[in-house]
Amino acid sequence: MQIELAHYLLLSAVLFGIGVMGVLTRKNLIVIMMSIELMLNAVNLTFIALARYSANIEGQVIVFFVLCIAAAEIAVGLAILIAIWRHRGMMSIDSLKQLKW
Amino acid sequence: MSYSLTDIFGVLPELILVVTAITAILVDVASKGKDSSATMLVTAVGFIVSGIAAISGVGTIGVLMNGAVFQDGFTTAFRAIFCLIGFLTAIFSPAYLHFRNIRLGEYYPLLTMSVLGMMVMVGAANLLLFFIGLETMSISLYILVSLNRTNSKSIEAGMKYLVMGAFSSAFMLYGIALMFAVVGSINYNDITNYFLADPTLGPLTIAAVALLLTGFSFKIAVVPFQFWSVDVYEGAPATVTAFMSTGPKAAAFVVFIRVFGIALHPVASHWTLLLSWIAILTMVFGNVAALRQTNIKRMLAYSSIAHAGYLLVGIVAGNHAAFAATGYYLAAYALMNLGAFAAVIIVNQRHGTDGSYRFDALKGLGFAHPLLGISLTIFMLSLIGLPPTAGFLGKLYVFSAAIETGHIVLAVAGLLNSIIATYYYLRVIVLMYMAKPEGDTTIPRPLPYAITLIVLSVLILLIGVFPEPVISLMIAVAP
Amino acid sequence: MGLISWYVVIPAATAFAITLVPKAKPMAIRWVASTGGFLLVLLSAIVSVKYWNLAAADIELLRTSMFTKLYMVEQWTWFKSIGIEYFVGVDGISVLMLDLTAIIIFTGSLASWYVTERPKEFFALLYTLVTGVFGVFVSFDLFLFFVFYEVAVLPMYLLIGIWGTGPRNYSALKLTLMLLMGSAGLLVGILALYHGSGIHSFNLIELSKIHFPEAFQLWVFPIIFVGFGVLGAIFPLHTWSPDGHASAPTAVSMLHAGVLMKLGGYGCLRVAIYLMPEGAIYWAMFFMALATVNILYGSLGAIKQKDLKYFTAYSSVSHCGFVLFGLLALNLMGIKGAVIQMFSHGIMTGLFFGLIGMVYGRTHTRMIPEMGGLAKVMPWLASAFYIGGLASLGLPGLSGFIAESHVFLGGFFGNQWHDITLMRTLTILATLSIVVTAVYVLRGLATVFHSTITNPEFEKLTDATLPEKISTGVLIAALAIGGMLPWLFVDLIEGSIFPFLNRLHESGMISSL
Repeated sequence: MQIELAHYLLLSAVLFGIGVMGVLTRKNLIVIMMSIELMLNAVNLTFIALARYSANIEGQVIVFFVLCIAAAEIAVGLAILIAIWRHRGMMSIDSLKQLKW
Repeated sequence: MSYSLTDIFGVLPELILVVTAITAILVDVASKGKDSSATMLVTAVGFIVSGIAAISGVGTIGVLMNGAVFQDGFTTAFRAIFCLIGFLTAIFSPAYLHFRNIRLGEYYPLLTMSVLGMMVMVGAANLLLFFIGLETMSISLYILVSLNRTNSKSIEAGMKYLVMGAFSSAFMLYGIALMFAVVGSINYNDITNYFLADPTLGPLTIAAVALLLTGFSFKIAVVPFQFWSVDVYEGAPATVTAFMSTGPKAAAFVVFIRVFGIALHPVASHWTLLLSWIAILTMVFGNVAALRQTNIKRMLAYSSIAHAGYLLVGIVAGNHAAFAATGYYLAAYALMNLGAFAAVIIVNQRHGTDGSYRFDALKGLGFAHPLLGISLTIFMLSLIGLPPTAGFLGKLYVFSAAIETGHIVLAVAGLLNSIIATYYYLRVIVLMYMAKPEGDTTIPRPLPYAITLIVLSVLILLIGVFPEPVISLMIAVAP
Repeated sequence: MGLISWYVVIPAATAFAITLVPKAKPMAIRWVASTGGFLLVLLSAIVSVKYWNLAAADIELLRTSMFTKLYMVEQWTWFKSIGIEYFVGVDGISVLMLDLTAIIIFTGSLASWYVTERPKEFFALLYTLVTGVFGVFVSFDLFLFFVFYEVAVLPMYLLIGIWGTGPRNYSALKLTLMLLMGSAGLLVGILALYHGSGIHSFNLIELSKIHFPEAFQLWVFPIIFVGFGVLGAIFPLHTWSPDGHASAPTAVSMLHAGVLMKLGGYGCLRVAIYLMPEGAIYWAMFFMALATVNILYGSLGAIKQKDLKYFTAYSSVSHCGFVLFGLLALNLMGIKGAVIQMFSHGIMTGLFFGLIGMVYGRTHTRMIPEMGGLAKVMPWLASAFYIGGLASLGLPGLSGFIAESHVFLGGFFGNQWHDITLMRTLTILATLSIVVTAVYVLRGLATVFHSTITNPEFEKLTDATLPEKISTGVLIAALAIGGMLPWLFVDLIEGSIFPFLNRLHESGMISSL
């Protein structure tokens, strides 16, 4: 079977979906952040596949930017997580109850 | 690809802010974290210089950087407004941070970076640059929100904001990717041309639009993705709340106009109805929820949700005049909301109120502190939308555009909502002027507080009575 | 700057001057305020005379004209991109309204001579409010009109909320919310006119040259009419009025009942009927029926009241019903009567509220049963009250008679579009209110001023002081002039009413209604 663009797109859509489910259903904040990373990387996969198949280098350039942004985001996220750990002693989303949703 | 001097001058305001942020960090390091007033000064000066550079761009329309940056009325106007917001937040903050015992020099460089991100967003002519601007702004804000490390509410707000922000950014990014898949380019102009040639919606396009719409709905906090905003607004340090309820929201709206209003205009009719409903639900939700608040910070947070609803009306109306109207209203909104938050922050430093932002703190302040009373009244009148304030003209302009394009129901819904809103905004005036003062009414009165209040209320009246310059800027939007 | 702009400049400048007077000098504040009021009366006299001379030459021309002719016009572009202009001028109807406003604010300032709580803020807000009211009467650009209208509403809120009595917060909020609700509708209507005209203009005269499609008129007319009608206390949207008047401080009640409620009728005529004659013809009977309910409901409501202010407030609802009733008769007699009624009721109710304030300042009660025999200790106030009361029940010789007889004749004559029997029935129903009015006015006055003094404390009370005498004297003089020299009014306004009628007739002919 020939692997085509559609397959890559499907794969990244599935990965993105897994990421979304992870954010929505998991309680541990670290897992939630990992799920967000998964979502971003799923998008990266889309970009690379598109760049490859349409011979448009722009897609690959975007990936670099996204990688940087994701790294910065996660760095800040982990820093805040440490602060939460110090305050509450847990990393569950259940610890975020002081402000009512 | 080549860049000329024009390109460099075109993005001078951004460059100045980059330099400012770096200088501020260095100054902060040099001061060894003892005193951040020098850092504040550097930042404030940076904002002024950048603002002047922004204003000097009035009248130029075109694209810079090989088509990556729009130079038009929107860019110019919002660069200037963001500089103003940044400047006022910077000078306003020291006294508040001192009051709250937050002594971190990082505050100012982060503020600068956040404003930089906003500027990049409004100037961006392609989806990638917009996304980079968005993230520059957001990541700085995540830190600012959770800056009060010793306060668990602030940390919690920061975490919520980060998770929600990153989550919605991922949606946005996926939307960008799919748009790239459909169009083969991420330039706004290419997107317009593509859909002008072929206005049918394939499944991939629908997915792309849905993802982008979801992402934007989070960022501008409209129903059903508004829930995070009130908590974040409540938990964040108040000056940060004031800042983020104005600047970032305005920036996100400008991009929303550029992407959904202009770039995707050829196919816009497909989601007009959906957006109308979102607008109505957002207004109703924001206003009804604001009615029952006892915490004034939360009240303002809900009211800013309602304002997002009014602003959407302009986007639904969807013609050139409507975008100019939305731009004008955004400018007015940024000024009045910043003013309202600033005044409320001052009120809550009243002796003995423990900064809990209850309405009671307002009692009897109107006559005791005339400047505070009058300016808060002006802000409230503007938020209600009464003449001669900018808020009135903004609303009038937006609803007028809605009626012109036949969205009469939407205009009526907006006006009825304004009446509901009148009730809770007036309550502020009632408490200030009609309730007997309780206890000590002394309030610290540093000069920056007075400057902030005066600048904002004068501007609100000024552009309310002479809107022509602002409107003419907003009309000049790059195609 | 032309003569008309002074109507906005003088009160605004007075308000500003008041804020400059030091707090510790209440006497200076009163003098500044009263001087401002006096200057406005003077200005009105000049404008009236000037208008008279200018308009006399044009009367024949106006008889056939389709467009209101304005005098002393000033016109500048304000916001070019939206098409908003600073466009002010006067016609006969607005001259009369300006005279009324000037008299009321002058006498109101005098009647508020004894406001002791924060007089500075009080007078400053009062003159801000008046700036808005004058602005409305001189504006012929709908946007400007609306802005001034809103400027008049908000100070009212603060004036009632801070200086009022009784459940003032409730009353102030109710009043403000209801009026804003009306103005929201108004805004929709104005914007619909703006966009519907196709010329993107708020200029009333330019707009009147456009013939709006009939379907358009049928839905916009009621929106605008009700928008103004709220201010004119149209049934069932009148409920803010009794509470608002009862809680308001004296000068504010005077202004509000005397002038602001007239603004509603004025707007209905100036904007709704003028721009949308077909809509007016279509809806006239519906609103006329509501106005009849107003008239009866107001006068019956007044009978039950024990509080003097509520009593006057309900009778105001009734009298404002006459204004709308007259307008909707859609004939010369009716509209003329309505305009005179606006003036006459403005003065009369101003007098009433002024007097109630003066009496209340002495007795500290407004309850009719608690008072008695006051004529002995305050003869001036009692006589003034009687004159006002007689005008209110339409005694010939006072302006109320002229107004009401015109309105009733207008209703009785009917017009060619509507069923004459229906109109006459409504008119007869409305006339019943005169009897009711006579009952409650005479009974109320008799209780308060005659019989024996019920409360020994009242023996020590004093009669009117000089500012109060001037205030009531001016108002009574205006009532008498209106009653004895009616041709003064009639000439002033008749010429300006013709364009309205000509428009109605023209559209009545082409309309299929």
